[in-house]
Amino acid sequence: MTRTRTVCPFCGCGCSFYLVSEGDRVKGIEPSPQNPVNRGMLCVKGWTAYEFIHSPDRLTVPLVRKQGALVESTWDEALKIVSTRLNDIRTKSGSSALAFLSSAKVTNEENFLFMKMARAAFGTNNVDHCARL
Amino acid sequence: MVGLAAAFGSGAMTNSIGEFEDADLFLVTGSNTTAQHPLIGSRMINAVEKGAKLLLIDPREIPLARFAGLHLRQNIGTDVAVLNGMMNIIIEEGLLDREYVENRTEGFEALKALVGSYSPRVVEKISGIDRHDLEKAARMYAAADKAMIVYAMGITQHTTGTDNVKSCANLAMLTGHVGRPSTGVNPLRGQNNVQGACDMGALPNVFSGYQSVADAAARKKFEDAWGVSGLDDKPGLTIGAMMTAALRGEVRALYVMGENPMMSDPDSSHIEQALSSLDFLVVQDIFLSETAAKADVVLPAASFAERDGTYTNTERRVQLSRKAVSPPGLARPDWKIICEVSRLSGYPMDYGSTADIMKEINLLTPSYTGITYPRLETSHGLQWPCPNEEHPGTAYLHRDRFSKGRGTFLPCDFRPLAEPPDEEYDFLLTTGRIYFHFHTGTMTRRISTLAREAPEAKIEIHPEDAKQLGIRNNDMVEIASRRGSAKARAEVTTCVPKKVVFSTFHFHEFPINALTNPALDPSAKIPEYKGCAVKVRRCA
Amino acid sequence: MKKLAKSELKNLLKHWAGEYRVLAPTLGTQGDCLLDTFDEDSFTLDYKKTPLPPKSAFFPQSEAIFAVEKGEYREVISAKKTLLFGIRSCDMMGILQSASFMTRDRLDVYSEAKRDAATTVVLACPGPQNETCFCTTMQSGPVARKGFDLQFFDAGEFFIIQIGSGKGEAALSSFPLVDLDDDLADEKVEAFRQRSVGAIARVDSVPEAMNRLKDRTADEGVWEHLGQKCIQCGGCTFVCPTCTCFNVCDHPSGPGQGLRERSWDACLFGGFTREASGHNPRSTQALRLKRRHEHKLLDYHETDIQGGLCGCTGCGRCSDFCPVHIGTLEVARAIAESDNHAKD
Repeated sequence: MTRTRTVCPFCGCGCSFYLVSEGDRVKGIEPSPQNPVNRGMLCVKGWTAYEFIHSPDRLTVPLVRKQGALVESTWDEALKIVSTRLNDIRTKSGSSALAFLSSAKVTNEENFLFMKMARAAFGTNNVDHCARL
Repeated sequence: MVGLAAAFGSGAMTNSIGEFEDADLFLVTGSNTTAQHPLIGSRMINAVEKGAKLLLIDPREIPLARFAGLHLRQNIGTDVAVLNGMMNIIIEEGLLDREYVENRTEGFEALKALVGSYSPRVVEKISGIDRHDLEKAARMYAAADKAMIVYAMGITQHTTGTDNVKSCANLAMLTGHVGRPSTGVNPLRGQNNVQGACDMGALPNVFSGYQSVADAAARKKFEDAWGVSGLDDKPGLTIGAMMTAALRGEVRALYVMGENPMMSDPDSSHIEQALSSLDFLVVQDIFLSETAAKADVVLPAASFAERDGTYTNTERRVQLSRKAVSPPGLARPDWKIICEVSRLSGYPMDYGSTADIMKEINLLTPSYTGITYPRLETSHGLQWPCPNEEHPGTAYLHRDRFSKGRGTFLPCDFRPLAEPPDEEYDFLLTTGRIYFHFHTGTMTRRISTLAREAPEAKIEIHPEDAKQLGIRNNDMVEIASRRGSAKARAEVTTCVPKKVVFSTFHFHEFPINALTNPALDPSAKIPEYKGCAVKVRRCA
Repeated sequence: MKKLAKSELKNLLKHWAGEYRVLAPTLGTQGDCLLDTFDEDSFTLDYKKTPLPPKSAFFPQSEAIFAVEKGEYREVISAKKTLLFGIRSCDMMGILQSASFMTRDRLDVYSEAKRDAATTVVLACPGPQNETCFCTTMQSGPVARKGFDLQFFDAGEFFIIQIGSGKGEAALSSFPLVDLDDDLADEKVEAFRQRSVGAIARVDSVPEAMNRLKDRTADEGVWEHLGQKCIQCGGCTFVCPTCTCFNVCDHPSGPGQGLRERSWDACLFGGFTREASGHNPRSTQALRLKRRHEHKLLDYHETDIQGGLCGCTGCGRCSDFCPVHIGTLEVARAIAESDNHAKD
């Protein structure tokens, strides 16, 4: 059993808890009593937040659309398609033809990099996330 | 957040979660707090049990109503009128904090002139709130020493959202209720890192730390740090504008990371058309969401349990979350995927860890300068602004002065709903979340306990309306707007007012955003989820 | 009884770690103390109640009970040789109580296997861990009376070790320890017990509430009021050392492939008792709270007197972790007080 400190993935309260894991499987939640946000208390969503992590529905391989259907692919192929297509569209239609939708569910570091990529790598300010929704 | 930033200089929650239990009064409006922010709702309940007062302004009889000293159930979309009415009473009765208004604010005369026309009788006519109740509410709020205004999407998801927020700020400044512990204006953020996504500049008009792309000095700073030149000086497109531009052929490619606009955005058939008209759609997510299913390339990402990184909660607290397990299969953390895409596209980004990325954030983001991994490792997070490594973080904002200097009264006139009910579409649909699910349900519906507690969507309808339409509890009901329709079982309850139906967007088989109105608030660009005209019928 | 110099404790734990998976009090960099895998650097003796009781070592929040692979069915019973060091007497009582329940009508093989593989080492409680401790009221502490394999008493420079079972004896067999004269040890242990009992106040409202529930003189209005506050987090049951209800759920991952898991459930959720027809015999939160607390305080009333296995061990965690203060202590107080009002 290992306990790893994390932040709840749901609402904006930012409750803190430990994920209790065995090997690569998360088995449950243990609250953090010292944390000033939630003082060890959680709502039902927090108490059960471990379960979707191992859902069989998780995406585990890159998918690429071929002949109309999404099929399993490799990172090399998928990433190459992404960079080539984005660059082609940029060359043909300009940076403003690209748009980037970031996420209120990923980390600060990832949001920062995503907006950096949009602005520095692809030259567009077309970057937003769903704060409004 | 636009409204609050314009009034105070910062769009974030002014106080801390820990301060809730010491407040004397809560004015809660447009927040079903025990369901959406349960660990804040519970603190309010505890405070009320210790003697604090709760003033609830909400059309629905939410669970917090049981603890409310006074519950005003305004007609949907009339918040500005109600708040103006309260301010009018406060000024008329001399209950304002004159010293505060004089020393710390500007624009009072304009506010006074505008709210003067919102007499209790006028407001009663617009909002349906008894004028004596409005007077009681105004006096309650003005008389409290430590008063917190608490709001969420019920205030912002309107075409008048920014005006609603400004009116909350006006009311708080008028009575000197900003800038002290347990006293302020507190927008509750709906997702675990909305605050952080905004802080980090995942917005079309600002870099991280709300540094404007139009500001030459800010651009220079980022150009130097990033080794590029000619960063775009014009704000980019918001989500809604991206979709419209896609339909017009102006946006050709969209890169979506961890979002599901097919489910979460209003008027989903419009979104579907927009996504279909793109040349290229790439979606990076943990599940094959409704949006990912339409993509040309789908990149499998790590969940919160499988990556390191920080999140900023609703009280501006940045907390470190650690990787517990490996991602499934070939899935990778989003930051590593971004680095790869950027590298292959000709702009290498090399970071050994998320701590390295944070070092760059520290360097470029004044409010985050002191928020470093070594400090986060040994603390329970740090609240921005935290301008240097010795700074303890900031529990509440605007202590002696507002972030922008003087607070500005921004008076707003009442504007009705963009799509009021009429003869054919005679009900108002208002949407929201329920306690057992989160957002578009991709995570919570895969949790067995939550799926059992709330297995399907319900349409809440008032018993009198239900009777008139021959609808009993659990009957199949169809609601339809000008844009689309959806079916679900009825829950007959007095929690909703007459001629209003409530439902949620958690269930993909009940795509309520096929119905909602994409009409936007002109400045914040937030759609009016909280009210659109629908018709209701019992399915045969 | 045996004697161990305090300076030797870490060596003993390291010795054990070679043979067992050792779970021990661990202090994190952010100040939380958890019962986690023994690690020399983060091990601490200066600890309070851990958020979760040791039940999670026997009955994890979720566990696979069978797997289907390529159409083949395979039962999953997992147990590792584990030593739990530093558990408190209230939690020892919790382990006994749930073991008694989970073996009574039908043997729960999944938790039984883990109990068989576990060695329990109690560290007798020197006094209240925080303001919600009431083990002396529930007769579960501060010193364990039975069920432990080993029990340690802090005697200043050294620990006195009481051996409670053959498993305990075996755990000590290959580590050099000094024998302690039994009379002297008994004397020191008794002094420790008296000091500690004196330091943990009895909470009169708890037996009072138990009696009123039994006599049916408790005010029903209490449940209504509490039911309005409850936010249905399930936390009180999850942190309870004796709550053992679980839900069973299948997770198919493809044709002929999948897992059946059980996971902690809570009687405070509506779906716990909702019937297929939609009817729910415990239709309100008030009724659910009433049933939970009657189960904890009333149903075990007689067994408590006879066998010392009450549904409540007095650990106080439900009070520590309820966001709106509906722990056993608050409930007992509300029942005891409201009834008094009714009489006035």
